Amino acid sequence: MIQTGLISNAHGDLVTDAVYDFYGLRLATCSLDQRIKVWRLEESGGTWSVEDDWKAHDAPVSKLSWAHPEFGSIIASGSFDRTVKDMGANPISTMPPLPAYGGSPSSSRWVERASLYDARGTIRAVEFAPHHFGLKLATIATDNILRIYECLEQPTLSSWQLIDEIDIANIAPGPSPTHVTRAQTAALATPTQTHATLDGASATLVAQALRETQQASSVPPSRAGLGNREADGGWTLSWCKDPYWGEIIAAGAGNNGVVKIIQLNSRRSHVLFTLEGSASTGFAASSNPSQAGGNDLTQQGAPASLASYSVTSVAWAPSCGRSYHLIATAGRDGHVRIWKLKPPPEDMGDDDAMHEDGKWTATSVGDFDHHKSAVGRVEWNITGTVLSSAGNDGRIRLWKATANNVWRLAGSIGVEQTAEEPAGQPESKDVDMEN
Amino acid sequence: MTRTERIGASEESVVPAIVESGEFSELVDEGQTISLAQSPLDGSLGIFVVPTHTAEDPTKAHSTRLNEEQPIYFVNQHTPPSAERRMFLADTFAIFSALRKLVTAPEFQSTTSLGEDRRVAYVRKLAIDFVNFIKECWIHASRPVARPGGPLQFSSDHYRSLYTCFSLFVVLFIPEEGYANAPVGDELMEWQNTHFIEPSTEEGDQLSGLEKPWEDDTFWPYLTRAIIRGLNKASTFFLSVLSGHPSEEIQHLTETLISLIQSQPRLDNFSSEKEFALSTRRWKDKVQALRIGLDRVPESKRFDGFENWWERLSDIVGVLEGRGDVLKRVCEEQGGDWKEVCVAWGIFVDPRMRRDDLFETAKDIIAEMPSDPTNLEDNIHAAMFSGQFEETLHSSSQLDLWLSAHLSEFMGATGLLQVKEDADLSPRDFHILEYAEYVYCDHALWHITIEYMYSCGEIGKSRGDQILERVPLRFFQQTSDHATAERIRSGDVVGVLKEVNEACLQHRREGVRRTVCKIAARNFVQEKNYGLAASYCTSAEDWSGLGHIVDHVLEEYVQGSAFFVEHASSIAPLVQKLSTQPNLSGVFYYRLIFVTRFARLQGLLRRKEYADAASDLVAIVREDMAPASWWAVVLYDSIPLLDYEPKLLFSSSEASLLLRKLEDISIKTSQGAGLEYLNVLSRRVHVKEQADLLKELKLVRLALARYFARCAVLDG
Repeated sequence: MIQTGLISNAHGDLVTDAVYDFYGLRLATCSLDQRIKVWRLEESGGTWSVEDDWKAHDAPVSKLSWAHPEFGSIIASGSFDRTVKDMGANPISTMPPLPAYGGSPSSSRWVERASLYDARGTIRAVEFAPHHFGLKLATIATDNILRIYECLEQPTLSSWQLIDEIDIANIAPGPSPTHVTRAQTAALATPTQTHATLDGASATLVAQALRETQQASSVPPSRAGLGNREADGGWTLSWCKDPYWGEIIAAGAGNNGVVKIIQLNSRRSHVLFTLEGSASTGFAASSNPSQAGGNDLTQQGAPASLASYSVTSVAWAPSCGRSYHLIATAGRDGHVRIWKLKPPPEDMGDDDAMHEDGKWTATSVGDFDHHKSAVGRVEWNITGTVLSSAGNDGRIRLWKATANNVWRLAGSIGVEQTAEEPAGQPESKDVDMEN
Repeated sequence: MTRTERIGASEESVVPAIVESGEFSELVDEGQTISLAQSPLDGSLGIFVVPTHTAEDPTKAHSTRLNEEQPIYFVNQHTPPSAERRMFLADTFAIFSALRKLVTAPEFQSTTSLGEDRRVAYVRKLAIDFVNFIKECWIHASRPVARPGGPLQFSSDHYRSLYTCFSLFVVLFIPEEGYANAPVGDELMEWQNTHFIEPSTEEGDQLSGLEKPWEDDTFWPYLTRAIIRGLNKASTFFLSVLSGHPSEEIQHLTETLISLIQSQPRLDNFSSEKEFALSTRRWKDKVQALRIGLDRVPESKRFDGFENWWERLSDIVGVLEGRGDVLKRVCEEQGGDWKEVCVAWGIFVDPRMRRDDLFETAKDIIAEMPSDPTNLEDNIHAAMFSGQFEETLHSSSQLDLWLSAHLSEFMGATGLLQVKEDADLSPRDFHILEYAEYVYCDHALWHITIEYMYSCGEIGKSRGDQILERVPLRFFQQTSDHATAERIRSGDVVGVLKEVNEACLQHRREGVRRTVCKIAARNFVQEKNYGLAASYCTSAEDWSGLGHIVDHVLEEYVQGSAFFVEHASSIAPLVQKLSTQPNLSGVFYYRLIFVTRFARLQGLLRRKEYADAASDLVAIVREDMAPASWWAVVLYDSIPLLDYEPKLLFSSSEASLLLRKLEDISIKTSQGAGLEYLNVLSRRVHVKEQADLLKELKLVRLALARYFARCAVLDG
């Protein structure tokens, strides 16, 4: 690992998110200072300079996402505006720049094009859909609702329609209540797995509840009775990048260590699969990464039923020609987990989709507790070959697969002073200081 | 990337650090932690301090930090290549390309047209190009010249390692045509003597200056090693010096020894291996005779006052006899390693040792005399000697991903690698892709990155797509070259966009090409270069994108742009072009026709060519070309034509048609579809209320009424 650059002071308060654009030439950052900044990389010198900077919300900004450039320069931002929350809504703003007449980046200016007020809690994650699906945006908030929006007026970006609202806690597993009983329990349930059993048993009731709430066209009161709002509610989401299987989102909510893989459907979205990490036995517990492979959920037992941690970040890897998907999760139990998700065999006809063999299966291919403390973020590189994770141990770790497809640690870098290096001596490294 | 890079080393830290050593947990207690973002440009990471998810109040004050600034650090897993390294990567890429061209040629792939030997011979030529090139780099890096850019990113010793490894690979696995099954000893000896010179020339010079060199401690080790290394010139010289040795026995024995060493059969000197084998057997008999002579020397005469010369000579004869135990012991005593034993084995112990025999022999020898675990180069050599290809690649990747990638390419080309059926990637693809991702850390080398990726199977190609799609197209690049900027604007595809487009076509990545075209179109729309945007959309067959461009052009009219007609005429040629396109359907095409017709109408109005304008307007209404939201606008434009005093421009039936259309709008509006029918007019005339808009439309009705009155008067 080598340090290649530095922005010495990005914001007036803690940065809450930083996201690269499609090319990696611009970096959008947001902060507790309620501002969004767009930085541009000066390629010759490798330094970053502010291209635009504006106050985006009336509260800290929590998350950002860039749309695919075929839709233009568009950023969505989510906020944890407590004052707005009290009013029962949090804004999400999409902000494309005004057209740049001269073709010069310096002439572009960002303006707010739309605000979406549906969420009833802090927006914890926003992510634009892969471009094949059009200009769509998914959000998840502490109200436990995954919302999908679609832009109806692309040139103006003024009109966004809420096309789906999914209560993560209560969404029915499986495409239909009857189908769920076999495919889901067979794929997931183990003798000790209470979640799956509950899902199966209550599927009909859940479906019924969903129908009722949909008819009432109101958000189900899923947060009722939940105590610690910081720990509960929706945490994270990630779109499946491969259009082949339709619109699929992995979403993490609550504190049961579960990530739900949700197939979006105009008629009724449903859970394709549920990923459950085994309960943490504490940060000190050792986890040998070399033994991590081959933990097939369909065959082996017992992801523990007493998991009580939140999955704070989920990242769906670009599939890049692989016959399976990789999903990484970061948990407050201190684990970075990598799941291999296999779609049903391609030669299954439509009729067979209901067949037991037509199910998705998941295998844990990596479970690492190197951070020994809560992990807050996981992210893949664009080819889905390097996973990076950030933990409360103050270190960033990189994970890669070996030639034999075993995932292992490939590097790490920390932010603590190293013992031998006195503070404020950047000369010893190749650092490009930004003034 | 290099062995000096500390992959995974826990002590690495960003500079300046955020907190003192061991204090991060306190920062977490205060509600702060770190997060990251991965750059699509080069895989680098942005690292920054964020509030923890558990922070009760993320805005509360914090104190543990060394300072209160909010830094973002940028780190990369790989050290981006320096200028000289970049040149090395680019130049070797040229040879790689030549190899790819060769191995993908149908004649090469066909099992019948080329024999195995011939195939290997072609590959060998390019492998030797690689070896020669690395040698040049090594020589270049070794030159003691001033380097204004600081020391080289990769030392001359690094290039030397690459040189020894690559050349050994060629010796062992890409043999000269016809030599695949020939004894390999001589070739290995030549390799060893080229790269690992022992005994040193200085030692030889020093000894040759002595009157009685045998009295020097280094004499016998030097002589023995020269013989083991097959350095006949040096060994016969020092053996002949022994003619001055006081012992008669030694004089006699060395005479025989000299002739034996000079006459040792070498494969190169024989036309067939059979003759070589026969000659070797005879030679061994002579060595046997020497042994008998040696054994006859009485114990009392085996010591010359300085040294037990007999034992030393006996060791030499033992080596010549091919006694493995003696060879190993002697090599070890002289500080030689497993390599020296393996190579000498193929000369003395088993002169007919083939490559396949070597692997087993080397494994046994390395088991007894292990390679240096701290020396990657030595590990690579050991893996090659043992014929362990995957281990060779693994160790090579630790030395330099460049090496593992190119070795794997040659291994693939010569069929050395076994492909596991259930694996995602073949070993060859794995190492090529690892290297490609290293090259990707320098985004200026994107065209090299994708070439390596596109040389792989489906997974590699998909990864190449990700890189190619994200090559910055630099539309906004500030350039002092106005001519280039102008050429781009005038529709000439130049620069990166052209390169990316060509790469897509060359590698048949149609999906990427379309995505890139869509992005380009989007950028041209932003520049209001609608003509170019539309042709990119057409190229990408992005019909909805084309629809959006039409919307943008129409929006120019709504916004009152003075250039609406020009913008519309820039996309007008597409109507003609697309009319020949089979299976073309969709709303966008009709909108495209509408915008061109509507623009023509506006042009006529602007030029006050009212008669033509009137007939165009009627045609638009009659042919129902306008989208519903534009009916009102079209009708609104008829007012000056209806009011045109010098002449009646519409027939009464045409005027009736306009009236009917107006009625339609009124009815639809009264039925609640006002937004749909009046939206565009609303924005055009800057009137928001529906009632006010209807008043605006009454102006049309009034103009029509006046027109009908004029018709009646004139007809009357």
